[in-house]
Amino acid sequence: MSKDENEDEMVGYRQQPGKLPFAKPGSGGKDRFSRPTDQEMIPESQGGELAQPWGSHRHDNLVSGQVIGKATALVDGRWKVTGQAQYGDDIRLPGELIGRIIRSPHHYARVLSVDFSKALEVPGVVAIATGADAENKFGVLPVTKDEHAMAVEKVRHVGDLVACVAAEDEATAREAERLIEVEYEILDSIHDMRDGLQDSDLPIHDRGKYHIGEANVQKRVFQEFGDVDGIEENAIASHKENWLFAGVNHAATEPHAVVANWDPAGRLTLYTPQQVPHYVHRALADVLEIPMHQINVHRTFVGGGFGGKSDPFPHEMCSAILARKSGRPVRITFDREEVYWINRGRHPSRIEMNLHADSQGRICGIETDALIDGGGFASFGHVTTYYNGVLHTAPYEIGAFHYTGARVWTNKPASGAMRGHGAVNSRCAVETGLDDLAEKLSVDPIDLRLANLLPPHSATITGFRVTSIGMRECLERVKKESGWDEKFRKMPLGKGIGIGCGFFISGSGLPIHWDPNKFPHATVHLKIDMDGGVTVHTGAAEIGQGSDTVVAQSVAEVLGLPLDLIRIRSKESDTSPVDLGSYSSRVTFMNANAAISAAMQIRDELLDATAEITGAKREKLVIGDRRIFAKNDPAVGVSYLEALHKAQEDRGALVASGAYRTPPMGRTHKGAAAGLAPAYSFSAYVAEVSVDVETGQTKVEKVWAAHDCGKALNPLAVKGQIIGSCHMGMGQVLSEEMKYGRSGHLMNPDLLDYKIPSVHEMPEVVPIIVESNDPEGPFGAKEAGEGPLLPILPAVCNAVYDAVGVRTAELPITPERLLRIIERKCKAEGVDDPIKLPSPRLEYSELQAVLSKRAEEHAKRDLERRLNDNRQPYHNGALFGLDPTTPPDEVDQKWAVNVIPSEEYLSDPRLAGSAWKHTERRHRGDS
Amino acid sequence: MRMPPFQLHTPTSLDEAISISEELVSENQEFDWVAGGTDLLPNYKWHLNVKPNVISLAKISELTELNETHIGAMVRLHDLVQSSATHPVLAKAADTIASVMVRRSGTVGGNICLDTRCYWFNQTEQWRESIDWCHKCDCGTEADCRVIPNQNTLCVATYQADLAPVLMCLGAVIHLAGSNGIRSMPLSEFFQLDGMTRNVLQPGELVTHLTLPEDVAEWHGDYQKLRQRESWDFPEAGVAAVWKKNGTTKPTELKVATTGLESIPMLHTKEVDSCLNGWSGAESINELAESIRKSVKPVQNTWFSPSYRRKMVKVLTRRACAGLVEGDS
Repeated sequence: MSKDENEDEMVGYRQQPGKLPFAKPGSGGKDRFSRPTDQEMIPESQGGELAQPWGSHRHDNLVSGQVIGKATALVDGRWKVTGQAQYGDDIRLPGELIGRIIRSPHHYARVLSVDFSKALEVPGVVAIATGADAENKFGVLPVTKDEHAMAVEKVRHVGDLVACVAAEDEATAREAERLIEVEYEILDSIHDMRDGLQDSDLPIHDRGKYHIGEANVQKRVFQEFGDVDGIEENAIASHKENWLFAGVNHAATEPHAVVANWDPAGRLTLYTPQQVPHYVHRALADVLEIPMHQINVHRTFVGGGFGGKSDPFPHEMCSAILARKSGRPVRITFDREEVYWINRGRHPSRIEMNLHADSQGRICGIETDALIDGGGFASFGHVTTYYNGVLHTAPYEIGAFHYTGARVWTNKPASGAMRGHGAVNSRCAVETGLDDLAEKLSVDPIDLRLANLLPPHSATITGFRVTSIGMRECLERVKKESGWDEKFRKMPLGKGIGIGCGFFISGSGLPIHWDPNKFPHATVHLKIDMDGGVTVHTGAAEIGQGSDTVVAQSVAEVLGLPLDLIRIRSKESDTSPVDLGSYSSRVTFMNANAAISAAMQIRDELLDATAEITGAKREKLVIGDRRIFAKNDPAVGVSYLEALHKAQEDRGALVASGAYRTPPMGRTHKGAAAGLAPAYSFSAYVAEVSVDVETGQTKVEKVWAAHDCGKALNPLAVKGQIIGSCHMGMGQVLSEEMKYGRSGHLMNPDLLDYKIPSVHEMPEVVPIIVESNDPEGPFGAKEAGEGPLLPILPAVCNAVYDAVGVRTAELPITPERLLRIIERKCKAEGVDDPIKLPSPRLEYSELQAVLSKRAEEHAKRDLERRLNDNRQPYHNGALFGLDPTTPPDEVDQKWAVNVIPSEEYLSDPRLAGSAWKHTERRHRGDS
Repeated sequence: MRMPPFQLHTPTSLDEAISISEELVSENQEFDWVAGGTDLLPNYKWHLNVKPNVISLAKISELTELNETHIGAMVRLHDLVQSSATHPVLAKAADTIASVMVRRSGTVGGNICLDTRCYWFNQTEQWRESIDWCHKCDCGTEADCRVIPNQNTLCVATYQADLAPVLMCLGAVIHLAGSNGIRSMPLSEFFQLDGMTRNVLQPGELVTHLTLPEDVAEWHGDYQKLRQRESWDFPEAGVAAVWKKNGTTKPTELKVATTGLESIPMLHTKEVDSCLNGWSGAESINELAESIRKSVKPVQNTWFSPSYRRKMVKVLTRRACAGLVEGDS
């Protein structure tokens, strides 16, 4: 026994206070000493050295210089790299059964009977369930609940669920699967999304009185903003293109897996790698007909989501049903083709995109018509239909916006939400269209964009409130760093460079489930006991994007603590407050805001306690690394633990709850809420490609990727998101495609034939972080998870044009497709060998100078608007001579919003617009 | 996704392997040979033509010999790539196969005997059930071919292996062993035009090694491969070309073979011969490329369409032969 320990010898439990051999309240944390505050991380507004070119922020005084803005390894990273993270299929409960799903071999059929008597006789088969076991419908959106755990009447695509079996092992379950006899009546299936617009004898779903005609139209949208009638008169150049986008799948590394277990108290625990545990929670209660409080949704580690794990899924219901029937835990793990059958990937789409520019090089009109293929179920499709339109009304100021969108059911696996939800395809069409417009106007496409940007703190044509905008900086940075001026339209045949931009929501303003009406979007609870560690309860789903880390960072920053003092409890609905989940890029914005608000309450208590101990004035106190001290005299202060223990006197653990809710925003027309967000992210990418003109093979050589995420709370994670987005987007633009064969079957439901780019295809990506300091974001942050995906697609398409002078309107640009277009070009040019094709060149027109001048003026305007708090309102339309301070439809009636097509329009509608030819059953008067 | 159970036999010598196979044949028991397993086991996981017995060749060291003119069937593809004894064109082709991990396990013999592939065949059981099976794996249903219906005689699944065209061009002789003794033949005679039969191997017979002619080092050439990605993907088309030049501009000998286009790889002797008569450099190569394009008949059962693959055969042939005219002026 050492001398020190002897001196502190414990002689009995009834010691005088302070004589116990507890460590004296030190600094807390592993390191005994507080580190000096890192002045480089303290904002200028607080007297530190951190430059703030975008002005101060409401959270500046909470910055303690700990972790925010520093490259931080994800807090759960060690579990993953040491193989100790438990994903869905890693959950092993004693006595588990293996569940298998019996799926439809038909595209569309009525299920006449399911006979599982033979299967039940197989030794080791414990339970079998069919649609009759759970007839309640569910779905991620309350307005479109159209799914069952298993087919109740019909199966709607190959792979649709018919029955499920639980057995002692997989081989037995498979044997039972073969013995289940299902009798079908095969129905006429539809596979081409255009057929979905027509009346059908037996629509894939029946929406009752809300059904649109007798068609397979699930959702239709009509929107007109601005001077639509004037487009033709105003335009001096127009771009018109009909796009065809193949469906793509998230292809997350981890296939879906689930374990359900009913405990002796009669409660259900569902272990599932879910992005949105709360909606599963609700759906389970509906389907199983038990109250929500009887269910604990345990989110396991998630091996990649990207939107593919954000619906409540039928197999999750199946495992719970089988577990209830068998009284034992049931585990279901998907094979890869089952992942493709549950899908929810990006919608196959036909998009007609028309862009118009006027004599001033302004974008006087965007006309979009988007027909999207929803597959067999609604999923998020209601929202997707809107997003295909409204999410490309910025970052440009536009004179008119006309959008018709329709989502149809077809007999394919359901499409749903995927990274960049609903914005990716139409954004690609817009950005390649702008490139073409620039070509037609003979101006530089970057300058065309720079001269048409909305200023910070403005409203889009659809009425979205846009606050911080870093678009201009993104464009300027990629232009400079890529050496654009030396390369654009100057490289030899086969080498090209292209630009693309993006705009995305940072959390949706109106969440999907919003009852009761004023429920917060995110809630975070904190608990700190005497050990000084902070337990954070949050329901935000960590899906690899770093949501646990960003919450830990936020709390650590406000309280001046190292990250090892923060422990996150985010897995179980029993212990975490409701969170709406990891979708629509909402987590950092909303959950970190909620965490900051909770931490601020603890911070107040610590400051009060310190003021009491030291006698220093409370408003003079600041927080540094595990120490609270007077700003003007750092010697006056206490350690974090001392302050904490003082605050805990007479009450024990400190607890706090913080919440975040978006402010009221937006206009009131039908659909006005779709696309509303408390902030928006912006991005601009330049891609450089090589095209082999003889084979049509495209290789992306390098990407300069600038993304405005407001403030990079964790620059490492932001860069990871940018690079990962490039990879994912490159897949969609060059090779990934859900290929349906001539019989309507998905031909490539496996990772060998579904062509995700390999490491060889991956170019060098130069991530460029632009920090526009969003006034409402946590420490100024906005999203970085989805927006970075958008620009890579058009950047590559535009670079291909720069390389060979051809535009593609079909994704992915497989070598085969590109070669076909190159051959067409050769024929048109009278060239016998593609190697002899001319390389595109550009001579600027007079308009170029007009644009450069306007871009310069706007840069000044924008700088002023972002630094001046007393700015006037600015509404889209000002560039076209309207009063910027008044919403355009109040200035001029012709700018009024219109959401119902006119008779005149319906006499000659566009493709998706023709969905409006049908009358909703309830308005028909014939039934 | 589990493999169905099977009995694994692990002989340690060629003789033992053959006697095991002899026994199984005499008992009328079906079996497969497994070498690296990178082709067979994924197919087993998809329940494709699964056999109750599998004889592993992994422990038979006598099949792993590798030198300039002798390549054992159990030589790992990775070792073939790395060895200085490997002909450079063969090494190049081997280096394009799948991925490093697959090459570490996959073998030369396995690559030669690779099962043919087809979009309607290489799928899971549930998937194949939804198309009512196909005749390469019909589950007792006597199902038709799904690529070209109403021709229930020939299987058109595609041979998508990279080594065979190069080895055929280099004049490789393949050596087989079985209970009836050993036999050998030029590699080009090893394959049989049917996606199911694939080659001349009889039940119980296996590939032991390949031999190359003594003058193999005097041949120069190239291998060109078409695929969507630079890794993992099977060849959608592959062209090997080797030649001897003897210092003149005209090649004294030229051989071209293709893979990934039909159910077997093909040596294009006829097309090459007619172009060697009246050789005129780049123009002849162009003509050769065109005649090979015309001679191949891919079907719609892989990632790229048949028309694109045919077009690319022409480009690949030109590129594979580019070395023939380099330095010419």
